[in-house]
Amino acid sequence: MTRKLIECFDDYPMINNKDEITRHNYIRYRLGRLKHEFWLKNRKNKEKIYVEEYDWFILNNLKPGNTCMFGSAGYYLEDLIENLTVVETWNVVKGFYPKAHIVKHRQELEKLFPNTFDNFVVNNNRGDHWVVDAPTEHMIEYTKTMHDGALLFYSFRDTQIVFNRFIDQYEHFLNWAKSLEKVCDLHLIWHDIKFAKKQKISNNIEYDIMENPDTSNGNLKFVFQYKRNDYKLDMSYYNG
Amino acid sequence: MKETTKQIEVIPSSNLYKWAKNFKRVQDRFFDNQYKIRRLQQIEDFIYLNNFNKVYHEYEVDLELEMSTVESKSDADLILITHQGYSRYPLSGIIEKVSQWLEECPNLYLCLNRHYLNIDNKKVDIDLPDSFLPAITSWLTQSLPNAVVVDISRNYVDRGSHFTWVCPDRHYYIKKI
Repeated sequence: MTRKLIECFDDYPMINNKDEITRHNYIRYRLGRLKHEFWLKNRKNKEKIYVEEYDWFILNNLKPGNTCMFGSAGYYLEDLIENLTVVETWNVVKGFYPKAHIVKHRQELEKLFPNTFDNFVVNNNRGDHWVVDAPTEHMIEYTKTMHDGALLFYSFRDTQIVFNRFIDQYEHFLNWAKSLEKVCDLHLIWHDIKFAKKQKISNNIEYDIMENPDTSNGNLKFVFQYKRNDYKLDMSYYNG
Repeated sequence: MKETTKQIEVIPSSNLYKWAKNFKRVQDRFFDNQYKIRRLQQIEDFIYLNNFNKVYHEYEVDLELEMSTVESKSDADLILITHQGYSRYPLSGIIEKVSQWLEECPNLYLCLNRHYLNIDNKKVDIDLPDSFLPAITSWLTQSLPNAVVVDISRNYVDRGSHFTWVCPDRHYYIKKI
């Protein structure tokens, strides 16, 4: 049997009957959203709410007002966040969380939520990855929905950003975060940039094969304030 | 924070790594079976056209390659590495490991996942091209003076749709001199 050789997803159509598409998209969505597991655990539990530990830090540092969680399975925190707006890019989310707003492009955000949010959270959103050097254009779009003084909690993974990994990666991402002040008036008020620490296992030449720290939230964590630089985070909730 | 009568339990996040082994099987289900990932065909073609008949294959994801394999590196005429865990070694560790493989067998087909290289963000003390993909080849070539390094990768900007986590994208034939 001759099979077509393909380089990437776009080279060959996926199985396209309706049921298969929904199933595929749910699997693809879940592969990129480890936090969805918390939703599955919480939704039928009448006694407990499970919260992931970095989300706990975010929850305890939100400003009063409106909060948007974008592409971050934020619906699982619905019982704990006042005035929560969940925005996702996958239609499949509507199937289990009808209140979600679905957008195709970030440019839609400004029209839907102009000058609306006091907190904007993007927590390792797969859709924010695969940009060259860093996700600057995305940040510009997010600020268009934010009040002056609003907080932007933004975390992601270095391994899915297109850049030269032989340079000083810490400097690369820190400089990017600082540069946003001039680009879109986002002031960096906190960051935690971590890379794997590799040590030999025993006396031979084997190393552990683990990824960079925190594959759920990303190893690059930043908190910005829009147009101001006066917010004090409570770091007692951070277990980094 | 909104008040709740429920007890809140804060728990550490789970690790993404557990998904990796199933990536090909999961992704295959999105398509019918009329396609094949080109880079897997490239590996099979390389082995066939260069008459390698005893391949020792170290893998993480089952790639269903058609080739004659052996159980031991010492019996092999080619070591094939598609296990992307090695890409998560520090750079110096990758070179040590390649040197060890070449001691065991003079022919190595090494696949590296570009997105993991230099995972521990160590300073690189050799002159490399500014462009990342040629820099990977230059790093390997300069670090392995007793080997011939042939870059047989395809250069492209990876936007996350190239099956890189099924089979790593940077392919090198490395022969001990």
